[in-house]
Amino acid sequence: MSTPAASASTPLPVASAPASPANKALVIGIAGLALTALGLVVSPDKHGVALSYLVGITYWTAITIGMLLLVLIHHIVDASWSVVIRRQWEHWLSAFKWLFVLFLPLLAYAWINPGFVWPWMDLGHELHGHGTVGADVLYQKKAGFLNKNMFTGMTLAFFASWVWLSARLRKASFTQDADGDVKWTLMNRKSAAMGLPIAALTLTFAAIFWVKSLEYHWFSTMYGVWFFANCVRGALSISVLIMLWLWARGDFKGGVLTTYHLYSIGQLVFAFTVFWAYVTFSQYFLIWNANVPEETFWYNLREVNHDGSPNQWKYVGMLILFGHFFVPFLYLLSYKHKVVHSKIRPIVCWILAIILVDMCYNILPALKDEHGDSLPFLSINLLWVIASVIGVGGICVWAYLGSFPTSKLIPIRDPRIAESLDSHGL
Amino acid sequence: MAAPSYGLIATFDTVPGIYHAAEQVRDAGYKHWDCITPLPIHGLDKAMGVKRSIVPRISLAGGITGFCTGMSMIWFTDKFDYPLLVGGKPYFSPMFAFPVSYELTILFTAFATIGGMFFLNGLPMHYHPVLKYGQIRRGMDDQLFIVIEARDPRFNLANTKALLEQAGGKDIKELEA
Repeated sequence: MSTPAASASTPLPVASAPASPANKALVIGIAGLALTALGLVVSPDKHGVALSYLVGITYWTAITIGMLLLVLIHHIVDASWSVVIRRQWEHWLSAFKWLFVLFLPLLAYAWINPGFVWPWMDLGHELHGHGTVGADVLYQKKAGFLNKNMFTGMTLAFFASWVWLSARLRKASFTQDADGDVKWTLMNRKSAAMGLPIAALTLTFAAIFWVKSLEYHWFSTMYGVWFFANCVRGALSISVLIMLWLWARGDFKGGVLTTYHLYSIGQLVFAFTVFWAYVTFSQYFLIWNANVPEETFWYNLREVNHDGSPNQWKYVGMLILFGHFFVPFLYLLSYKHKVVHSKIRPIVCWILAIILVDMCYNILPALKDEHGDSLPFLSINLLWVIASVIGVGGICVWAYLGSFPTSKLIPIRDPRIAESLDSHGL
Repeated sequence: MAAPSYGLIATFDTVPGIYHAAEQVRDAGYKHWDCITPLPIHGLDKAMGVKRSIVPRISLAGGITGFCTGMSMIWFTDKFDYPLLVGGKPYFSPMFAFPVSYELTILFTAFATIGGMFFLNGLPMHYHPVLKYGQIRRGMDDQLFIVIEARDPRFNLANTKALLEQAGGKDIKELEA
């Protein structure tokens, strides 16, 4: 294999992304956000629109956190095969600052109209059947953590640490393209050692504040891990799509991307399928087995109405059980399904779709009718969910494509780049 | 030599040499033959025309057996053979049978994988006819060999020897069975 990497005299050309796809992504993103904003104006159920937007922003923030974790894990274990794809993860990290901007309306609502998105922020909010939030002992006990100041400060801290870590990792990696100094690799390894605990804590608390607190009565020690599994799975799926896209465009042809790279990332998608199932099952199983009302109500909301009749979320739950685990698990057992482009593309698209359903399952049942039953899954809110997912996603893709032409296609002077280009594994 | 022959062995000095020779032997349609090299050679399996192993299928069969064993064992003990009410739960539910079934899936998959591998590769093998060849130890040091077995339907002493010679093999010897 000719190794463009090894010699600095024959560098790869700076990757060129035509400006038009980036602009297209921006237009699509703004259109999606505009439609969501329109929904806020025209929809009678404004709380539903707000939670739909929360689904959109949580979904893409999860994927971007996943990208950050992949870069951090790559550095901490000093991986070699993933060097060729790491640059694309680094490009994606440029989306964090825009995700922060897109999160600001939710933060603003927390102060302008408390309780509009997260009911617990309004102490006068009527709970179904037992007084107000402020008079609720479970809220009072948790109030030291669950209050607006904590929420705002923590959310600012989450984004600050993600943006800061991303900037550090990107700068070191991009600078190494120019000077080839190994100190940047060592610096990133230190960033990873420091960044992994930070990322683990921030993503856990983000999941608790943004999503889990919608039902603040609930207890689950698995929640952060559940969120982590979705973060990494989503990021891996997007990475596969990026690899296939760069292959189809021609950038990854000619000895950059090998079957082994796809096989490796396919194995990780498979591993995180099992991991997600392990965590999600554990959460359900422990609650089912202990059968304590403070915990089971969360699943009851997602299974039956107050009169005992099944609601739509029961079938969504079944869809998640089979679609999030059994289908990808059985499909990805096969070697061919991990390495043949036309075989792995549909399954990662499916995984991305089902992660969205999982996010809906965790967020939308917080919308309730006058009996305290969850509003059905199939409703106009799905339109706002799709609009905000396209909206926030468009902005993320735009940020990625905007960063794409600013550096080389692969980290050509990474100490392990030759090893990565030469990975054939089996 | 009165004893029937095991096959022919040819010596190669370089990695590209044996790689291209392997391609020629493969293209000549031989099935019962092997390369002996002191180091792993990337892509040699492809040059030899070796297909992917079927061990994963044996693993899958083991996994399915393990899962079904777990589920049916718990159903049999808790619901069928000696129904026992625990904690107000149903006699049988896939919920509490799942952790056990899952562990048995892993265990049986591991057994099937290890067992299947040993079954297919025939290890441990205490004796092999190439061990009689005086130079074979250099196959662990600095030389590479191709062995074509006499049981191969295409094997013909003169023709096979000619093929190995043409492929660049040196020192071609007949091996005792």
